Amino acid sequence: MSNMLTEKLNRFKAFWKYFSAAEAINNILVVCIIVYIWNFISGAIDNPARYLPAPDIVIESSYDLIYKGLLPVYFGETMARLVAGSFIGLALGIPFGLVLGLNRTVADIFQPILNFFQSVSGIAIFPIVVIWWGNSEKTVLAIILYTAFFPVAFNVLSGVRTVPRRYVQAAQTLGASNWQIIKDVLIPGAMPHIATGSRLSIGFGWRAVIAGEMLAGRQGLGWMIFTGQDADRTHEIILGMAIIGITWIVLDRYLLRPFEADTIERWGLVQR
Amino acid sequence: MSAKLIVDGLSHHYPDEYTGIDVHALDNINFEVEEGDFVAIVGPSGCGKTTLLNILAGLLPYRVGGAYVDGVKIEGPGPERGVVFQEHAILPWRSVARNIGHGLEIRGMPEAQRDEIVASYVSLVGLDGFEDRYPHELSGGMKQRVAVARTLCADPEVMLMDEPFAAVDAQTRITLQEEINRIAIKTKKTTVFITHAVDEAAFLGDKCYVMSRRPGKIKAIVDIKIPREKRIWQDMLADEEFIAARDNILKLVREEVTNDE
Repeated sequence: MSNMLTEKLNRFKAFWKYFSAAEAINNILVVCIIVYIWNFISGAIDNPARYLPAPDIVIESSYDLIYKGLLPVYFGETMARLVAGSFIGLALGIPFGLVLGLNRTVADIFQPILNFFQSVSGIAIFPIVVIWWGNSEKTVLAIILYTAFFPVAFNVLSGVRTVPRRYVQAAQTLGASNWQIIKDVLIPGAMPHIATGSRLSIGFGWRAVIAGEMLAGRQGLGWMIFTGQDADRTHEIILGMAIIGITWIVLDRYLLRPFEADTIERWGLVQR
Repeated sequence: MSAKLIVDGLSHHYPDEYTGIDVHALDNINFEVEEGDFVAIVGPSGCGKTTLLNILAGLLPYRVGGAYVDGVKIEGPGPERGVVFQEHAILPWRSVARNIGHGLEIRGMPEAQRDEIVASYVSLVGLDGFEDRYPHELSGGMKQRVAVARTLCADPEVMLMDEPFAAVDAQTRITLQEEINRIAIKTKKTTVFITHAVDEAAFLGDKCYVMSRRPGKIKAIVDIKIPREKRIWQDMLADEEFIAARDNILKLVREEVTNDE
């Protein structure tokens, strides 16, 4: 029992090794330099309120937006879309990639097709989706789902195919059925690719949410920066951009990447 | 009483993977392995011995001749024939214990029942205390111990070993050979052990089948009558019977290699 606890504790510690104080200091330093240069440029140009408002103006405007309750609502809506869209995208893409990867012939046929769709971005399919469903919530979700689906499906397909044949043969000689080979060998063997693919998909999904909101005119961070242009509220545009970037960095650096690295390590793909 | 494993007139051709040229790998192989026998098949590299093992494992379809375990023709992989591969065959995402118990798990044995059996095989291969480790935390020799235990734990009728110690260092190899001998005494498992190392074949085999160069056939059978209990490397290196058998096999194998030049 105490052994189990130590094991859990060690896992937790191991997980935390992906974060470090030194890195945090580095990041803060870089941000300070950028803000300093930004502030300098803003002070040097004419009409900074229109072209490049100073950092303190932008931060000040965020108080206003938060106080009026708009920013939290926008942020919430955008995140909800990302979660819903990428969740459905992954839920469909992972099994799709797995099933296609099982059969070499089927995989060979589908791999170029997946590659094709992966390269036709969500923005490129936007017009046709609008023709189908108008400027609706459904349209935005469809774009995110489409964007999230292909990277993960493609990665999982490749992942299944890179599982060494030896592992499959070893399971066969132990008497494994086809289903047991899928469950015990192919799915676990593809786990690191599933993790990498998921991270990529959510990343592309995040870009798609912002673009989707702009084009379909749905309330959210993307919409906020888009309307900021019409209303000449440059500070809101910059604020929105910063929030989009920071949100992604936090999500990726402190959730998705550690999850991916941990999966790769845990599933033993670190060969020594 | 018929033999445990019968190979009857087995021949095999396959097109070379890169050139497409027909390779005549095996030519009319005939032999029988009695229950409890430990047969070492030794031959120069490229003599088709791995092809032979893959056919016996059921991983390679064949058309000419037959191979039978307990009178049943081999037509695919099956749990009655356990295989220990050369390397990289244990699952990296399973702990030592879960790798070893995989065969029982596949058979549908409940976990509570498995635990005790797995523990006994962990001990048999000397991995006590490493049950919860993962393969990447183990040395090459330990990984092969896991592979041997995994195959034994599934309790096959015949154990097939394909140069299992070729990829480990010399010191570890000697230890593992003695371990396999000890396990053979204990389990009396019918075993076919493929190797290109002459001393390994002479040390482990009750019988050594020497294969010719391609197309592979069994060119000689060398019986080794040294009792298993006496087979310890330190003693064998000074044992006249062992040295004679080894030199005999070496001569038979060398003929095949030098003929090639």
